[in-house]
Amino acid sequence: MMDCEAIKRSLGTWLDGALGPLEAEAIERHLEVCPLCLGERTRLERLEASLKSVLEERASGIAFEPFWGGVRQRIEEKRSRHVRLSDWATPVFSPQRLAWAIPLIIVFLIGLFSLEGFFPGWFGGQSRSNLTAVESIDAHGLNVALFRQSKTKTLVIWLFQHQEGEDESSGESGQGQPSF
Amino acid sequence: MNLLENLARASLLFSLWLLVLTADLGAAERGQTGVQLKIDTILASNQNDDFDPRLSGMKNQLAELKYRSYRLLKEETQKVPWQANATFDIPRGRVLGVVPQEYRNDRVSLKVRLLEGDKPLLDTTLTIRNRRNFLLAGPAHEGGVLILSISVTTQ
Amino acid sequence: MAAFQELVARYYHKVFMVVLGIFNHREDAMELAQEAFFRAYRKIKSFKGGSAFYTWLYRIAVNLSIDFKRRQRRNPMELREAMDGVMEERGELGKDPYSDVQGRELGRRLMAAINDLTPGHKAVIVLRAVEGLSYKEIGQILGCSEGTVMSRLHYARKKLQEKLAPFLG
Repeated sequence: MMDCEAIKRSLGTWLDGALGPLEAEAIERHLEVCPLCLGERTRLERLEASLKSVLEERASGIAFEPFWGGVRQRIEEKRSRHVRLSDWATPVFSPQRLAWAIPLIIVFLIGLFSLEGFFPGWFGGQSRSNLTAVESIDAHGLNVALFRQSKTKTLVIWLFQHQEGEDESSGESGQGQPSF
Repeated sequence: MNLLENLARASLLFSLWLLVLTADLGAAERGQTGVQLKIDTILASNQNDDFDPRLSGMKNQLAELKYRSYRLLKEETQKVPWQANATFDIPRGRVLGVVPQEYRNDRVSLKVRLLEGDKPLLDTTLTIRNRRNFLLAGPAHEGGVLILSISVTTQ
Repeated sequence: MAAFQELVARYYHKVFMVVLGIFNHREDAMELAQEAFFRAYRKIKSFKGGSAFYTWLYRIAVNLSIDFKRRQRRNPMELREAMDGVMEERGELGKDPYSDVQGRELGRRLMAAINDLTPGHKAVIVLRAVEGLSYKEIGQILGCSEGTVMSRLHYARKKLQEKLAPFLG
């Protein structure tokens, strides 16, 4: 048997006809014997009736012709594609958003290019970030080769010398790679 | 008025940000007291195919040198004030001397000298981008070649 | 256009009632209801018949009203005064079971109480009161589940009852 609190919670749904048959029957039986819940039902019915009545009353007196006139006017304005696009784009390009978007975009672009300093080469290769410039070099009689690695662009300074006492075949040097 | 207010607000914030950025950049160059030099002494050879995992950060650079194996022999770091001379010991009695000269446009000017005892083997002046490195391939050593990676970071 | 005019004739009063219940301002409700039909006209080709036409139409009207309501910046007191003015001007006689005076007072307080609800709660109570739509239909209009409709209706009715207790007996 349902208690009064449970009945009160379900009264609205019952009045709406949205309860299952068993639950509905239980509520009906309860209302036959419980004056408190019956009073609650009455108040709810009055509320619903008042709602409908007030809304109908407030909306009364609206003639069709003027209403239709307003709708037709909107239709017959024949919004051009340009206007439709504007309608579509306006929320995106609203002045308020643009006011913030423009400086934010500028900040973003500056940040993007600044990142090059911290993450060299990330912005399309390492072509320039690792360039080292040699201003002067003196190998004091030794042969020296300067080259820049093709992929990493790292500067390599390679010294060549045949030293006395060194076993020229000592170990296997890199293929064709000179060493002291 | 709402639009103007928003534009004004956004412009103000943007200007403040630019001010902080430029001030920071200016301070960065003015406030540098010297450099941190890191010298990695690497043995490159073809005696095996081992690659020292401690050199993984330089894998791409070393790969272009075409040796089959690379081993980190020594890693040394020194903080060096401008115009001061930092020396690093290289195997077989060699010494690498580095003098940081100046810092401009995010590039560090260095004087580098390689000595064998008292005998100079190499003198070079170069300009390198901050936080970058270059390679100096030096003496033969233990069946391979010594490669020195010289990295520079301003302080 | 003639076919659409027939549709407008059939539904304009109900749509206006729903919009008025949510928006609580006669002139604005008129504009919004007309705009809702205009948008329905533009989107008529996209109506695939998956739901009843009036469900689709109410969805447009309710969404428009809720959006507008959320963006509304008017002082709520102005709305109540406007409503009072309209009711007095029209000299409306109450059609509910109570006396004219009490009926007018109930109507005023009822609309004020509805106005204090959130747009979502307003929508369910008005759709249920105006059309007697099922929970399923209301859920389709508002894009929520039947359970949500049920709980919103329960909450809205409870709030209205609390505020209108002296009038409901």
